[in-house]
Amino acid sequence: MRSGRKCRTILAALALLLARLAVAQSTPAVHNEVLIKNAVIMTASHGTIANGSVYIKDGKIAAVGENVTAPATATVLDVGGRYLTPGLIDSHSHSALGDDINEATSPVTPHMRMLDAFDYRAKDIYRSLAGGVTTSLLLHGSANMIGGQAIVIKHKYGESRDDMLFPGAPRSIKFASGENPKRTYGGRHQLPSTRMGNFAVQRAALVEAQDYMRDWDAYNEKVKVGKDAKPPKRDLKLEALADVLRGKFLVQIHCYRADELLNEMAMAKEFGYKVRAFHHALEAYKVADELAAQGVAIATFSDWWGYKQEAWDAIPWNAVLSLRKGVRVAIKSDSDNFARRLNQEAAKTVRYGGATEEEALRMITLNPAWIIGVEDRVGSIDVGKDADLVIWEGQPLSSYGVPDKVLIDGEVYFDRSLPGYGMPRYKEGQ
Amino acid sequence: MKPLAAFSRQLAEKNRRFTIALLAPMILFAAAGAQNVPVALQGGKLLTVSHGVIENGVLVMQNGKITAVGGAGTAIPAGAQVVDVSGMTVYPGLIDSETSLGLTEISLEPSTNDLLEPSENIMPNMDVADAFHAESALIPVTRMNGITNAVVAPASGDTLPGQDAFIQLAGKSAPQMLLVRDLAMPLNFTGEQRRSEGDSRKFPSTRMGVAAELRQALIEAQEYAQKWARYQRKKAQAATAKPAAKKSKGGDDDDDAPEPPKRDLRLEAMQPYLRGEKPVVLAVNEANDLETAVRVANEFHLKFVLNHLSHTQAVLDEVARLHVPVIVGPIYDEPRADERYDTVYRLPAELHQRGVKIAFASYDAHNARNLPYAAGYAVAWGLPYEAALRAVTLDAAEIWGMGDRLGSLDLGKDANVAVANGDPLDVKTDVKRVFIQGEEIPMRSRQTGLRDEYMK
Repeated sequence: MRSGRKCRTILAALALLLARLAVAQSTPAVHNEVLIKNAVIMTASHGTIANGSVYIKDGKIAAVGENVTAPATATVLDVGGRYLTPGLIDSHSHSALGDDINEATSPVTPHMRMLDAFDYRAKDIYRSLAGGVTTSLLLHGSANMIGGQAIVIKHKYGESRDDMLFPGAPRSIKFASGENPKRTYGGRHQLPSTRMGNFAVQRAALVEAQDYMRDWDAYNEKVKVGKDAKPPKRDLKLEALADVLRGKFLVQIHCYRADELLNEMAMAKEFGYKVRAFHHALEAYKVADELAAQGVAIATFSDWWGYKQEAWDAIPWNAVLSLRKGVRVAIKSDSDNFARRLNQEAAKTVRYGGATEEEALRMITLNPAWIIGVEDRVGSIDVGKDADLVIWEGQPLSSYGVPDKVLIDGEVYFDRSLPGYGMPRYKEGQ
Repeated sequence: MKPLAAFSRQLAEKNRRFTIALLAPMILFAAAGAQNVPVALQGGKLLTVSHGVIENGVLVMQNGKITAVGGAGTAIPAGAQVVDVSGMTVYPGLIDSETSLGLTEISLEPSTNDLLEPSENIMPNMDVADAFHAESALIPVTRMNGITNAVVAPASGDTLPGQDAFIQLAGKSAPQMLLVRDLAMPLNFTGEQRRSEGDSRKFPSTRMGVAAELRQALIEAQEYAQKWARYQRKKAQAATAKPAAKKSKGGDDDDDAPEPPKRDLRLEAMQPYLRGEKPVVLAVNEANDLETAVRVANEFHLKFVLNHLSHTQAVLDEVARLHVPVIVGPIYDEPRADERYDTVYRLPAELHQRGVKIAFASYDAHNARNLPYAAGYAVAWGLPYEAALRAVTLDAAEIWGMGDRLGSLDLGKDANVAVANGDPLDVKTDVKRVFIQGEEIPMRSRQTGLRDEYMK
């Protein structure tokens, strides 16, 4: 036991050393120890500190409060009364996926991995970083009832692809419903072209996955007891769906209408998986009690409406009405454009329904962090969390707030005072 | 093909929806007509736009006009309805310099859209006033955010898609809401006019094609004018020659009367613009397109306003030298890959710095209510606040020839006034009251109806 622990300690130290070396290689001469002082700190978790400091050590928030002591070695960033918030989190993005958002050749494609399309050099990532976004969930589109496997990125623009992936983030999978699948396939005279077609396709795929899972469970059982057994044929599509049934994915469902929100929850119950969040969810306010009872979050727009029939009953009070009924609410972009000013979108919930500024801020920090499953790592200014922070010029929850500097893991990745792109860690043609 | 049953069901559904949408404004203006009882807004912070800010001010509206504006001591007429607006901000109704209000209901449902005739590229006789749907559910949603007037334009898919109208966002019918038909004529050079999409490449598929087609149309319109002028001249000559001819022939046949030219509605529609009586609106994004558009406009001595200019940073000094106003709504347009992230955000400030008069547009219908936030965001990127406010009020009114009626809190102007609980350009601010021609608009829309129904 003892020796085991010792061994683990040595291994951990070695890993840390290797990690340090790796960091040293990619970012030479950076000593990650920063004290941000004279800030109005909106923590997102425990109110606002009118004049406070944050001490960052090794990329994590080591201390936060009115009186914070830091070693003299720390780089001091006196922000002169500017606002400090957690890095913004976008729980619904298709950035950096180019034209590879929808594999719209079959309504069931759970084996698609967005990592295979992720263009980590795409400027979208830089522009939303400059808008304060530090973490995004990059999702498959909504052409298919069951889309593909998402990735979670940190907007460390200028780093290598793998350094931009959020380490250890849980896996999410995208489902969809309503008009988009039926328009995509109905337009080609294929199944599904109706909502009953949509759900029939989804149910059939899940039934198939149940069979597949049973075959593999039986095989594994036989192997376990030493029986000779022939492994079933692997099928990437059903393997992914079996993982949905096993609860190994956070299920993110694109869904607009109230009846479909209920249908999707009933389907999840029927097959024994959980819905993490409904995306768009413009009619959530009609069934907010049911969503709250099931613990399903929503990632919605602040005020988009009328762009299609299923967005006709959208109202800008959706976010706050749902929040007041106990639903966890995120405001997301679903747009490279809106990802550049999520703060303004969140601020609209103050105007429509009277969210407090902290509630509004949570809709673009802590709540989307929960939807993505990284709420213990990011989304608020708390000790132990990643030092993903935004220093603002102007009040962030207003028309006038724009990011001045953005830090990820304690490093400055965006600084508007710099010439060119304002990117200390990025070079064109790099 | 849709099955007939499904189609008629859809139609019924839509009728039901439109009936609901229709009821709200009907109730409002059932007793419309001149606003007789004077209304006095007392105690608010007045953003006059034309002559500064008046704290604790008084604004009086009567018969649809502003009849008094001033400090706390301003006389309130006897019998006036006095509204306490202390703690509130009072400002002129906002003007959106390009929308598709009244031309669309649900973007993806073609039966609810009258945005563009795409069959041809030059369609000057398409008049949005003919399609304008006064009962659109989008209009109450928009005016509740303090927007009282707007330019309605056809979509930009054609080089010359038709003619714009200027509306006010209240009235019981389209004629009441359409303050100016044929306000201006858009000329678009933004790319989608080049018919190079799809299998069959159609003319024009290049920039030179777009310019050549437009030139040809403008020349035809000039020739058409000459043809009519010739006819009018001959007719006048015939009329003076007639008495003599009558006498000599002793008959009354009109054989010598000149034949009028055949009417052509396309060419007819372009005449006021060729005469410089009304502005064309040149929409361009790139510097080279700007140069082409201005060259064509100057060849025909057109009076013009510029629109968009999203990626023209390199030539802004030249833009300033044109001494024409610019519609700069698209501060939300994304920059090009080689542009800094804030390039387009800073455009309104850059133009203002060079002395260019600007106005904001939403270029939208559903999201037109967000117009004030675009102006506010431009302030965050360096535009002085007063200039931003003017760009959605007085400067916009002046650009559209409505400066004597709209855009500021001044005596004699239309009583289009909004009252909000704070800065009108801030996204957090709630608009509390809106008056259009002195009539108070109930703060109700299809959306508040749904909110109230489900809040119970």
